[in-house]
This record gives sequence, structure tokens and C-alpha cells, in this order.
Amino acid sequence: MPDSGDIEVPRSNCVTGEEEWIEAARKGDKAAFGCLVEAYQTPIYNLTYRMLHNQAEAEEAAQEAFIRAYRYLDSYDPGRPFSSWLFSIASHYCIDRLRRRRIDWLPLKEEIAEPVRLASVSPNPETVATDRDREAWIQELMKVLSPTDRAALTLHYWYDCSYKEIAEVLDLTVSAVKSRLYRARRSLAEQMEGEPYAL
Amino acid sequence: MRCEQAGKMMSARLDGHLDQKETSRLREHMASCGPCRVEWQKMEALDQLFRSVPMWDAPPYLHIQVTSRIERQERARRAIIGGMALAIGVATLGLLVLVPFALGLLDNLGVGPALVVGGLETITQLVLLFDVLSRTLLILLDQFAVPLALFGAVSLLMALMLNGLWIVTIRKLRVVR
Repeated sequence: MPDSGDIEVPRSNCVTGEEEWIEAARKGDKAAFGCLVEAYQTPIYNLTYRMLHNQAEAEEAAQEAFIRAYRYLDSYDPGRPFSSWLFSIASHYCIDRLRRRRIDWLPLKEEIAEPVRLASVSPNPETVATDRDREAWIQELMKVLSPTDRAALTLHYWYDCSYKEIAEVLDLTVSAVKSRLYRARRSLAEQMEGEPYAL
Repeated sequence: MRCEQAGKMMSARLDGHLDQKETSRLREHMASCGPCRVEWQKMEALDQLFRSVPMWDAPPYLHIQVTSRIERQERARRAIIGGMALAIGVATLGLLVLVPFALGLLDNLGVGPALVVGGLETITQLVLLFDVLSRTLLILLDQFAVPLALFGAVSLLMALMLNGLWIVTIRKLRVVR
């Protein structure tokens, strides 16, 4: 279930800071890398879950993102925020996975499915009163978005990333990020049946 | 103002990227455009909804899984490197045993001394001999292509099985340790 949303505080055996962990992990210190994993596991898992909408897949994707980060730690530029670099790895992995998922399923269905109108999860205060309902509704809404739009929206809302930061993470231009956010919001608004509600 | 432009401005407004002048223009447009007004209300509601939902907490064992997967991969890599080093070592040892034997055989057959003494003429003859041998080999390959392909497939299968056995053995050794 969702929790507070804060970045998880590292455990007591991780006494130093992020820079020291990165430096030590680069030298092959797996314990130091473990501290980085502990610090970023919630943000990365949240990102993969928002992208993939499946707990098992999200867990696997989060693990894979960390493993890739460990493998390519030498290519990390310390002048750039570590979080952005890590988000970039996780986002691109999920985008690739979603694209592969589409390729896997399209030939079987032999047609492109129409976006589902969300009449069954009607947006009114009663049905979206609990966190669980809100979660379910958000996940349903986000299914209509393209993988990159989904990533842009997730980074914007759950990580407070600026346009520039999203652009860096997703290898896009700032204007492309603006367009994608607008397009995503418009698609989501179109999914809302009837009159909008107030939370 | 067109509705498309108004939509983009709505998105920018939600992100706090619209100045007062642009906000006034957007408000003016929405005052006279019903569909844009509805769209703005929906976008605003969605914005609130997204901002109200917290992050998903990671499974508590995620970091343990990551570190143990890294450990496993490194052990497997070490095992592969060890296996390759072993194979190269065996091949080198084999060559060290075979080369003196082959040189001795060439000496016994008279090929070695002939090469030293015979000069250019012997080398030309040897090239011709290799030419004949390679042509013969090509004819044989042409004749026995199917059995050779089968032999190749069986060899590949055996190599894969041996590789599988090697990996299983390494894993078992790891478990025992």
C-alpha cells in the first residue's frame, strides 16, 4: 500500500552520505551500493509501479534498474544528480518493457484496442473517497498514456521534477516535455465521464 | 485564442508557468468557451487527484534481493572466467605436449629438414600440396555435407549440454559452500 511518499531513510549501518556510497560502490563495495539501494528503493519502486501497473513486474524492473546502475556505475557523471541518473535508467527500462509488451500483444489481438472509457470507475467523491479507490482510478487512467507520457507525468507528480529535470531523465527537449504533459493531461481529462468533481 | 492554445496554457498554469497577463487571457477565453471551461475543471481536478496520492512503498526485501542478485551475477561471472581460464590452460598444456611431438614427427618424415635445406622449391611444392589437399577437402565437404551438418548439430548440442552441466555443477558447489 502507499505510504508517506518520503524517500526512505537509510539504515543505521549506512552512516555516510550519498557521495561516499557512490565512490565506494564504484570501487566494488557492495555494502555501499546496498545503502544506495535502501535510500532509493521506494522512489524507484514507485516509478516502476506507476509505469508498469503490476507489482511483480514493478519489483523485477526496480531490481533490474539497480543492477544496471551497479553495472554502469563507472559511466555515472558525478556532476549530475544521482537520482536523475537512476530515474533515467528505471524509466528507460520500463519504457522498453512497455513497448515490448505492446509488440507481444498486438499480433495476438490483431487490432489496436480502443481506449477504455471509465464509466465503471466514475469520478465522484464517493467512489474516489479512499486512497485505494484513488489508486485504482489513477492506474486505470494512466493505462491510456504512451510509455513516455506516463513516465513524464509520474516524474512530474511524484518527484516534483521540473521540465528540465524530466527532459534530462527521458532524453527529451524541454518543449517536448511540455507538449507531453499537456497531451497526457488532455488524454486523462477525456477519460473523465460527465462533470468533473472536486476533491 | 484557439482552444488548442488554451489547452496548452491550462497545462502550463497547473505547473505555475503562466504569468498574470497570460492567465488573464486564458480566463477571458474560458469565460466565453464552455468546452474549455469544462476541460480546465477536469484538468484541475486531475491535478489535485495526482497530487493527493502518495508513493508506493517498496517491498522491504527489495534491497536484499538486489544485493543478492548482484552477488549471484558476480559469482557466475567469476565461474565463467574461471572456466575459460581452465579451458585455455588445458589447451595450452595440450599444445605444449603436442608441439614437440608434431615437430618430432615432421623431422622423422623428413619434412622439417627438407624445409630447411630445400629452400624456395620445397616451399612451392608444399604450397601446391596444400592446394591439392584443400581441393580434396572441398570435394569431400560437398559429398558429405549432410552428415557433416548432422555432426555439427550433434557437436553443438553436446557443447550446450556440457555448458549446462558446468553451470549446474558450479551452482551445486555454491550451495554446498
